[in-house]
Amino acid sequence: MPDNQPHQSQPQLPADERRLGERVRGVIRTRGFLMATLVAILVAMYLAGLATGASAQRLLALTAWGLMLGGIIALGSIGLTLIYGVMKFPNFSHGALVTLGAYVAYTLIPLLPTGEVLRPLSFGYEFLIALVLAMPVVGVVAMAIDRVVYRRLRNTGAHLVLFAMASLAMAFFVQSMIYLIWGPDFHFYYPGRPNPALYLPFGIRVRADQLFILLLALVLVAMMYVLLEWTRMGKAMRATADNPHLAQIRGINTERVIAWTWVLGGGLAAAGGIMYGLSSQLRPEMGFWLLLPMFAATIMGGIGNPYGALSAALMIGIAHQVSTSFLDPTYGPAVAFVLMVVTLLIRPQGLLGRTER
Amino acid sequence: MILRFWKPISEASMPLLKAEGVSAGYGDMEILHDVHLSVEAGEIVSLIGPNGAGKSTLMKTIFGLLHPKSGTITYRDQPIHGRKPHEIVGLGMCYVPQVANVFVTLTVEENLDMGGYLLNEREIPKRRERVYALFPKLYERRRQRTGKMSGGERQMVAMGSALMLDPDLLLLDEPSAGLSPKLVDEIFDNIRRINAAGLAVLMVEQNARKSLQMASRGYVLANGENRYDGTGQELLDDPDVARLYLGG
Repeated sequence: MPDNQPHQSQPQLPADERRLGERVRGVIRTRGFLMATLVAILVAMYLAGLATGASAQRLLALTAWGLMLGGIIALGSIGLTLIYGVMKFPNFSHGALVTLGAYVAYTLIPLLPTGEVLRPLSFGYEFLIALVLAMPVVGVVAMAIDRVVYRRLRNTGAHLVLFAMASLAMAFFVQSMIYLIWGPDFHFYYPGRPNPALYLPFGIRVRADQLFILLLALVLVAMMYVLLEWTRMGKAMRATADNPHLAQIRGINTERVIAWTWVLGGGLAAAGGIMYGLSSQLRPEMGFWLLLPMFAATIMGGIGNPYGALSAALMIGIAHQVSTSFLDPTYGPAVAFVLMVVTLLIRPQGLLGRTER
Repeated sequence: MILRFWKPISEASMPLLKAEGVSAGYGDMEILHDVHLSVEAGEIVSLIGPNGAGKSTLMKTIFGLLHPKSGTITYRDQPIHGRKPHEIVGLGMCYVPQVANVFVTLTVEENLDMGGYLLNEREIPKRRERVYALFPKLYERRRQRTGKMSGGERQMVAMGSALMLDPDLLLLDEPSAGLSPKLVDEIFDNIRRINAAGLAVLMVEQNARKSLQMASRGYVLANGENRYDGTGQELLDDPDVARLYLGG
């Protein structure tokens, strides 16, 4: 009998090893490990930039531009993730809403009385007013599309694939309308108006418009936070995203919540599009190309989580810009995908996604 | 401690809820056939029967999550069949489903706020206090997300949310499902307290014997049809009911 004890402990070894393996897998799947990996990838990009001869100032400037690009992506992906959260389908027409926002503002600006240029920015008050007006316009368009297309599908209890396909169709439809109305040419909000870069500390050179874009993105995100956390409609949105049946049982009119989600998502997309148009130029397919990093940010951040989408979008923006220091800029969009694939491999539910339901 | 914050019982003999000739189901599959049921103010009515008898389907149909193919459902003499849940809840009837009955990503307090979604915003904190007085444990954990809470605590959150609107009738679908015996007693205790404050309760229960003991009346449902009905005691004493549905 006393001999038994060493015998018993030996077969336990493999069991211990298995537990170790499980523990390792458990650690790999944590938020912290994913975060560390993503940061390591970013650091590797900076080092690669330095190794190929980019100066520290240039990398800092690229980071600042990356934050700005991230802000634009964030405005789109927050809407995307909200719509996914409440309606559970990927809205492929979100890119078209981004483009529409840019063009609506483009149409509004000449109609408004031109104000003095707000130096060092490149635009006057009329641009800000156009921004404020274009957001609800696109929001209402998004809601109208929902009324005409998605609501019918909801009422027939259609499969989610059908929603995704319908949204793809709406993407082509809206983009075609933009081609019809505004034509295929490039446009600028203020053709030929110079916007020289500012000299900031540490030798960073950034245009004032770019700082404005980042600031606006942050302000809008902060407003979103207040809306989602503190207001009745925000809480109802989160409740509907969590459990639409129970939301109805508690007296929430989920159709109204859905309508507001579209107004919000469309409005944020419009802001993103206007900012994008300000930073480069207006093209009918500009939003279509933003769709890729927007979806990447949505998935990386944990689908349905607006704060996750924000942090992932900023990360994607920085990675996109910093990668141009050692890669051909045409590879930029692929960077978002690398980050997304890494996220899916390590923690499929994303940065701030829920582990348990 | 019993809180009398629900409305006093009036028009006692008029049924609050009345379902007649209700047939309903999912798609082409009919689960309920010609079912009748009524609940009067202040009563506890227990709905029992084997698995698949259609008890939960009846609850969902009453609450507008399913629409009956035929038959009428009235609440306070007002037809409610074919109306949406968010319209029905405003009439004074609240429902606690069996599963997924709390918002797991919301905190306890936010869950209660959603329970009072139809209320004037100034009224919500007062109602919340009443629920906390009924379930002091919830007050301690009000900032916690319900996804991280135990089954018994979630059941309290679910019941508390349903009480926020100060309803006259509470529909409970298997309130004790999956809970330990000690917690089951606690839940039944809570139901008794809520009822003693003047609230009518219609409940589906797996613990048929226990629920009939506290019920004023009961219905036995089998294969989507009414089998027996009577007072709780009558059903407990009926040898057929005892043999077939109460486990001997």
